[in-house]
Amino acid sequence: MSVGFIGAGQLALALARGFTAAGVLAAHKITASSPDTDLPTVSGLRKMGVNFTVSNKDTVKSSDVLFLAVKPPIIPFILEEVGPDIEPRHIVVSCAAGVTISSIEKKLSTFCPTPKVIRCMTNTPVIVREGATVYATGTHADVEDGKLLEQLMASVGFCTEVEEDLIDAVTGLSGSGPAYAFTALDALADGGVKMGLPRRLAVRLGAQALLGAAKMLLESEQHPGQLKDNVCSPGGATIHALHFLESGGFRSLLINAVEASCIRTRELQHLADQEKISPAAIKKTLLDKVKLESPSLSVASANKVSLFNSKSPSSKKN
Amino acid sequence: GKVPASSILASAPSDRNLDTWRESGCRTTHCNLEVLQESTLVFLATKPHILPGVLQEIRPAVGPHHIVVSMAAGVSLQTLQRLLPAGTKVLRLMPNLPCVVQAGAMVFARGSGTGDGEAALLKSLLSSCGLCEEVPESYINIHTGLSGSGVAYVYLFAEALAEGAVKMGMPGGLANRIAAQTLLGAAKMMLETGEHPAKLRGDVCTPGGTTIHALHQLEKGALRATVMNAVEAATNRACDMAKD
Repeated sequence: MSVGFIGAGQLALALARGFTAAGVLAAHKITASSPDTDLPTVSGLRKMGVNFTVSNKDTVKSSDVLFLAVKPPIIPFILEEVGPDIEPRHIVVSCAAGVTISSIEKKLSTFCPTPKVIRCMTNTPVIVREGATVYATGTHADVEDGKLLEQLMASVGFCTEVEEDLIDAVTGLSGSGPAYAFTALDALADGGVKMGLPRRLAVRLGAQALLGAAKMLLESEQHPGQLKDNVCSPGGATIHALHFLESGGFRSLLINAVEASCIRTRELQHLADQEKISPAAIKKTLLDKVKLESPSLSVASANKVSLFNSKSPSSKKN
Repeated sequence: GKVPASSILASAPSDRNLDTWRESGCRTTHCNLEVLQESTLVFLATKPHILPGVLQEIRPAVGPHHIVVSMAAGVSLQTLQRLLPAGTKVLRLMPNLPCVVQAGAMVFARGSGTGDGEAALLKSLLSSCGLCEEVPESYINIHTGLSGSGVAYVYLFAEALAEGAVKMGMPGGLANRIAAQTLLGAAKMMLETGEHPAKLRGDVCTPGGTTIHALHQLEKGALRATVMNAVEAATNRACDMAKD
């Protein structure tokens, strides 16, 4: 089985690293493409032994499982470009936040009658094989196609199938989650430094504390509330600290964060559906390079990029 | 039904409250010493500032067979033992209001002269009024903050729940009764299942449902921290008052 990545950024690198480390795929069975060869991740991919090309079409041709690992606004351009090369054997896996299966299927169906599409939401810790991934299968993707993806993604962490309407919530929780954790760890380390620890040690200990706590929770039948209680001796240090967290509304801040990320994902999807993403959202150099590959694309106006604009009226979104 | 009313003797300087006792079938008197002479188990149920005077008064009548249980807030075992004959079996009890409906929460601590037998007797007797546990004396002030005063926090919460319902269109009387039953039911589940409240809370929260939306509001208002502050404030106040 060979795997291709359209896009050679953080996600492609993380997944490629994870798959090869897990031994499910040899590097030479992986192809990644991007018009931008200056990306720092490109050299990382090359060093690993992944086949790198500037041609997205080459990636499609040499892959069975095709990951769309580009930012959400770029997806329509990519689909327009590689659509003609998609064959029945291909499993197209989109990792783009907020991009629906139906939007991808609609786009591809102008080229291929029954495209196999799977929508996936993963997160950056796939790079250390502790990713959190969910996927939803599209209209023409079989159970085996889903299982194949699940096998791949399970090699780099936790992976489970969900209904598509939950994916935005997953984005808010585990998609963005590592960022919340990094923020917390930075602050915890600051606390350690304030109380006298050298920075490096503070970071190391903070990270280990979170890692250990997460592991305990995953391996325990107990509720996190119970595990918390187990750490809090009466009148001790921990309960004093927790009181501060509660006073600051720690819990509600986290709830707010997950909610905000989920809502924003939906908003972006809405904007995409209504073709309201501004060109500023897309790097100009990238846009130019993509346009070079696909002369049929056009920028409708200076203020608005018509995402699904093409010569064929049937594919125009309203 | 643990003790027949006729075996209970209560004393007070005036008749003001004694009628209620007599109505239940208890004997009454105006003489504190008489209580010591007629009883083995003696509860001191006066206000704290009166207690030292009462102890002085009854001291001559206190013997090694007596078990003296003080319910005066802020009066330590050390003080009680100092004001009574050496070796007197002394215990300190902190009940809470719902004892009157046999759903109380009580803690007691034993003095140096008190043995397992007396502690067991008291616990067995008081279990008829609710939950009764022996604790180190240092927990008594905490119990005040948690459960002595805690009853008031619950009333406040119940009132707020009912007001929310009234705002949404329910008549007040009905809202009050439902609020009370909700608290009773939730508490009963906690006590009977022994499950962690966090787990019980999660069990009620359907994904994206009404409960989780409401809980988010409570978290935004830092309810947890506020409640912790309340328990802390009451406990600290109990400690301060004890020093006076």
